[in-house]
Amino acid sequence: MHPLERLVNLVALLLEAKTPLTFEQIREKLGEGYEHRDPSSAKRMFERDKDVLRDIGVPIEVVSTDAWDVELGYRIDKDRYYLPEIAFTPEEISALFVAARSGGDASAEDAVRKLLSGAEAGILAGLGGSGLGGDVEVNLSQAAEAVAGQRRVRFAYRTSKGESSERSVDAFGLAIRGGHWYLVGHDQDRGQIRSFRLSRIAGELVSTGEGSAPPEGFRAADHVQAGPWGPGEPQTRATVAFGPDVAWWAANGVAGAEVGTTRPDGWVEVRVPWQPGESLAGWVLSFGPDAEAIEPPELRAEVLARLEALGAS
Amino acid sequence: MPAEDRHVSAKASERLRRLLVVVPYLVQHPGTPVDEAARLFGLSDQDLIADLGLLFVSGLPPYGPGDLIDVDIQDGCVWISMADYFARPLRLNRSEALSLYVRGTALETVPGLAEAPALASALDKLAGGLGPETLGELPERVEAAGEGRAVEVLGELRRAATEHERVRIAYYAASGAETTEREIDPEEIFFAIGNWYVAAWDHRSEAERLFRADRIRSLAPTGVRFEPRGLEGAGRPLYSPGRDDVAVTLRLAPSARWVAEYYETTRELELDDGRLEVDLPAGRLEWVERLLLRLGTDAEVVTPEGLKDRVRSLADVTRKRYG
Repeated sequence: MHPLERLVNLVALLLEAKTPLTFEQIREKLGEGYEHRDPSSAKRMFERDKDVLRDIGVPIEVVSTDAWDVELGYRIDKDRYYLPEIAFTPEEISALFVAARSGGDASAEDAVRKLLSGAEAGILAGLGGSGLGGDVEVNLSQAAEAVAGQRRVRFAYRTSKGESSERSVDAFGLAIRGGHWYLVGHDQDRGQIRSFRLSRIAGELVSTGEGSAPPEGFRAADHVQAGPWGPGEPQTRATVAFGPDVAWWAANGVAGAEVGTTRPDGWVEVRVPWQPGESLAGWVLSFGPDAEAIEPPELRAEVLARLEALGAS
Repeated sequence: MPAEDRHVSAKASERLRRLLVVVPYLVQHPGTPVDEAARLFGLSDQDLIADLGLLFVSGLPPYGPGDLIDVDIQDGCVWISMADYFARPLRLNRSEALSLYVRGTALETVPGLAEAPALASALDKLAGGLGPETLGELPERVEAAGEGRAVEVLGELRRAATEHERVRIAYYAASGAETTEREIDPEEIFFAIGNWYVAAWDHRSEAERLFRADRIRSLAPTGVRFEPRGLEGAGRPLYSPGRDDVAVTLRLAPSARWVAEYYETTRELELDDGRLEVDLPAGRLEWVERLLLRLGTDAEVVTPEGLKDRVRSLADVTRKRYG
């Protein structure tokens, strides 16, 4: 008998059994499945099958069938086996499909497929098969697991400046910014809430025990700063002029940017969020001769100083 | 266990896993075309038919004709009966549920996504339906910080990809720091590392190209239909090396290390002085020059020869703007 056939029969038998079944009963009912082997190798085969089923998430329970615990019985708890019915609209299912496919890990796609059985037929005609996006962040599932279970985790972390150290963190939340995921939590050694970019975590996140609960009103997003390639979210503004080719793109890339007047030469003045002390000079320079810092004077001065440091005259 | 046996059981377990998901769908959608089901569940038609072939010799004891699962395939469509116990799928396990939830949250706040409201309500239903025993504390504690780049043409692009319509675009290529007009046949639109991408046939270069959707300044339909070429879309590497690539080697001070995370590198070496030496593959040098202009003294050019001079002359041109 093909192993797949035996496994399907075993799941069906245990799902439909009114009472827990002992191995002997299973062996007898399943017929060919285990019978052609001697009892001990048949039992080993059953144990392996049981592990296979548990691995794929089939909740097999082991219970005593008598008051003296002599015989063990096996059953599948239907409530734990069956997906509860969730009434998704066709739009919701296809949105979940788009989300799952944007990831890069197959388990999100497997998840949506399990949700499909309640959906209307034919709604997914426009969607393809198994294409996956490219941004697999290997630590993401471990970090999600830590946040879901409110765990304390230990991991090796490298800061953006390249300093590495071992961290112990109570996982409070997850936030995504600019396509990168961050674990936010209470850093045990620093005694503060810190954020950790997952791509800078080397190796595994190891759960070391129960973590503490986040403070009242905690929001993971509040603790994640913008990267050095973009401006932050300050109150004041700086004015930068952009060439006609890039102005639309530059303004589009900054949250809260205001597109101002177009000059007679086609250049556009864009007002972008900025706060004193924060350097926008690098960002302005990344547009080369297609951008010019206008205000404030210290920004203009910094751009000039950096150009001169590169040997411009 | 002999190696061969182990192989069989790993394969059987994978097939069982998908059967327990496919069968409930087919039970609830009688008459589903085989190819549609195969595509939906990411299988080949042959694999699906092979799995279904084993299913109809399975069932309940004593495995008489009335106890076996009934699988009927006619005119390329499938009917499954006598399998009420497989009418509902297996629950989502924790890792499936968590990864779907975080992917959904990541996508929810992407500007320009038409599905955003449906996605939000789907995630709410998912959290409500699965409850804390599966999702734990996660639903309250995962969120998006800040917005990505808005893609105004996203809706139009996706429509064109679905309807196989050729479009004319004005594209700002950061690699060459220039805007060009071209016609493309968009085959697939996908989201990766915070951006939308379009896999398309580019009529300007007569080649397959990947475009970042937010760099498309304008888009006009052409009314011309195209035959999809089966381009590799999502899942392909975002950067593919070209024959004319120049190896750029830079030494980055700590404050410029982000470059190694932001751009594709082919080699990274920690130097004793705390700097990081990286190789960046580059098809064109314009974007590298601009990057170096931004980094200033935080980056040192090792190769190619002449790049340093090009940066200096770019600095000169830029300097002139300031009078």
